[in-house]
Amino acid sequence: MTSLLTVRGLTKSFGDNHVLRGIDLDAEAGTSTVLLGPSGSGKTTLLRSLDTLEVPEAGTVRIGDVEVDFGALPAKGRAREQQLRALRAQSGIVFQQHHLFPHMTALENVVEGPVTAQGRPKDEALAEGRALLEQVGLSEKASQYPSELSGGQQQRVGIARALAIKPRVVLFDEPTSALDPELVGEVLAVIKDLAAQGWTTVIVTHEVRFAEQVADQVLFLDGGVVVEHGPPSQVIGDPQQERTQRFLRRVLHPGGA
Amino acid sequence: MPRPIRALLALAALLGSLVAGGALTAGPAAAADDRPVVTVGSEGTYPPFTFRDPDTDDLTGYDIDVIKAVAKKAGWRLTFVDAPFDSLFAALDSRRIDVIANQISINPERQAKYGLSDPYTYSRGVIVTPTDTDDITSLGDLKGRTSAQSTTSNWAEVAEKAGARIEAVDGFAQAAKLLEQGRVDAAVNDNIAVLDYLATSGSKKIKIAGEAGESTQQALTFRKADSERLAEANKALEELRDDGTLKRISEGYFKADVSIEDGGEAQASGRAGRNGLDVAKDQAGPMLKALVKATIPLAAISFVLGLVLALLVALARIARSRWLTVPAGVFISIIRGTPLLVQLFIVFFALPAIGLTLPPFVAAVIAFTLNVAGYAAEIIRSAILAVPRGQTEAARTIGLDYRQTLRRVVLPQALRTAVPPLSNTLLSLVKDTSLASTIFVTELFRVTKTAADESTEYLTLYVVAAFYFWVVCWLLSLAQKRLETRLDRYVR
Repeated sequence: MTSLLTVRGLTKSFGDNHVLRGIDLDAEAGTSTVLLGPSGSGKTTLLRSLDTLEVPEAGTVRIGDVEVDFGALPAKGRAREQQLRALRAQSGIVFQQHHLFPHMTALENVVEGPVTAQGRPKDEALAEGRALLEQVGLSEKASQYPSELSGGQQQRVGIARALAIKPRVVLFDEPTSALDPELVGEVLAVIKDLAAQGWTTVIVTHEVRFAEQVADQVLFLDGGVVVEHGPPSQVIGDPQQERTQRFLRRVLHPGGA
Repeated sequence: MPRPIRALLALAALLGSLVAGGALTAGPAAAADDRPVVTVGSEGTYPPFTFRDPDTDDLTGYDIDVIKAVAKKAGWRLTFVDAPFDSLFAALDSRRIDVIANQISINPERQAKYGLSDPYTYSRGVIVTPTDTDDITSLGDLKGRTSAQSTTSNWAEVAEKAGARIEAVDGFAQAAKLLEQGRVDAAVNDNIAVLDYLATSGSKKIKIAGEAGESTQQALTFRKADSERLAEANKALEELRDDGTLKRISEGYFKADVSIEDGGEAQASGRAGRNGLDVAKDQAGPMLKALVKATIPLAAISFVLGLVLALLVALARIARSRWLTVPAGVFISIIRGTPLLVQLFIVFFALPAIGLTLPPFVAAVIAFTLNVAGYAAEIIRSAILAVPRGQTEAARTIGLDYRQTLRRVVLPQALRTAVPPLSNTLLSLVKDTSLASTIFVTELFRVTKTAADESTEYLTLYVVAAFYFWVVCWLLSLAQKRLETRLDRYVR
């Protein structure tokens, strides 16, 4: 079976800091991939690279039938922008800080991509937007501004906004890290729902228990490389690498020996 | 980033067409009349030679009647431009006017540079001082004292040669006010103008303290190259002298013939003095008209065009290419580092030197637009930079391109930050339009100043003008508050 998402040899550095040192990743359609790792391990940079918010120096990313070879990408100009846009259109991203547009209502946030960027008919987009808000449990909040919503509600609008452009892959960048603990559950429930409905997701998270439940595969990153990958039962349940074990001990038993 | 460049070109084209349109309207009006159009420059605030009739508001006076009589003989069609004395020669040089009819005294420098007609006035200068000054009776006493003069006037040269320090004023009415207020020691001027002022104002605070030397002669002043008009004028003056017209005009104003040497002692009857309230009542209408027809359009057009240009400059300033950032930075630096008045004068008086003669209103719009753009660009730039980076990232990830991101996400949020400082820019602009008075735009301040110099009712008229400006600014600040409330609706 061919994978929907393929990453090969991705490298990225900020100055002397080599954040990604040759990452490989395969994800099949309809699966959830969780990226685990200590801060600075490169997992967020990897996720952002998939949506071209960061542009790697080398390596390839393919989503569906759109492939970009970053090593061969022109340094600037129209051709570069076209390639990046094509890849960007394949994925939607949910940020750690929701980054909702504060001057638009929840529904306006959701339909902005379909209407303005994709030029789709407005009433059609509005109907879909309402359906998406209902899916994340916010049909009552369609005409509220982001400042009038709770953190968890904001994050769920962010999810609806990412889904509205009909991406092949939905990316989550620590979607619950900025939330109060009591709001985490509602957001994780929505993500779990999406996975169950067959959306392909890639999730950066610190919620190991959640990862165990939702993930089809887990990648453990450290120092810009994939240290260990496999099903959660293996990577989380029975890690082989010493670095993985140490990380899991720390996050699962923060006060422990 | 090619889009801002394209937009810049479009704006340049817009400005270009504006300029071209303005230049066209400045040209001679197409009419069946094939008489040459001659544009006359005159102060309109120097009675009894050139002033506005308080009842009809028409330009009148000895010089005006003379140039009209000359035009009739010579077959010219006249248009009039009134301007401060010190702007008259610059206006003549820059071809905005064709002749000055404003008691221009003949002297060697002027004879070398301009085409001066035969004299149509013979007069003498007098020294004016405050009534209680008793140590100034001759030119010799002016040494080291301060004399209020129009700097480009012949009388300024006389006072300067006598060793006086020159305090620059816009005309004799201002000089008289400074004398009455004890701010200067003396003023040298034409005796008829002084007599007229004394008769009209009834002022007991100033007096004629002495003679300022030999008699002088005044002439119509043309550009040196304009010898055809000069010859026509001289021929007309000769005919007018021969048929008694000049004498008749002169006696109507002075009960003596000042158009020949020793034509008798001139007298000035002055005009009926009127109190400040009457003057204010008369002038409130024309001042309001100037506010609505010139001040407000000037501010509005310049502000809108300035904002468009400012946005482009701001985007250029934060672009990646040095080909955009450097010129934008230089532009901002020049605009913010030079006085607005200098910018106005460059556009109006200096550009004609390279063949670009703009009508006053267009020149003012261009200067104010550039000025607004320079200041607003920095405001807009910092407002754009204040929009969190996550906003543009979020816009990109849902597929918006550069322009969509700017229009839909960045600018609406930047606007909220920018409204208070941009409102300040607008309020400053409204008030700064008064500077356009110096380049002949008939806006509120200019109309007020002309009326004030003419009637000497400075207090009343300037208070009315200040009130008009204040009302406009007050309404604008109300609008600002409403706009801010509207923009704040989504912020808890």
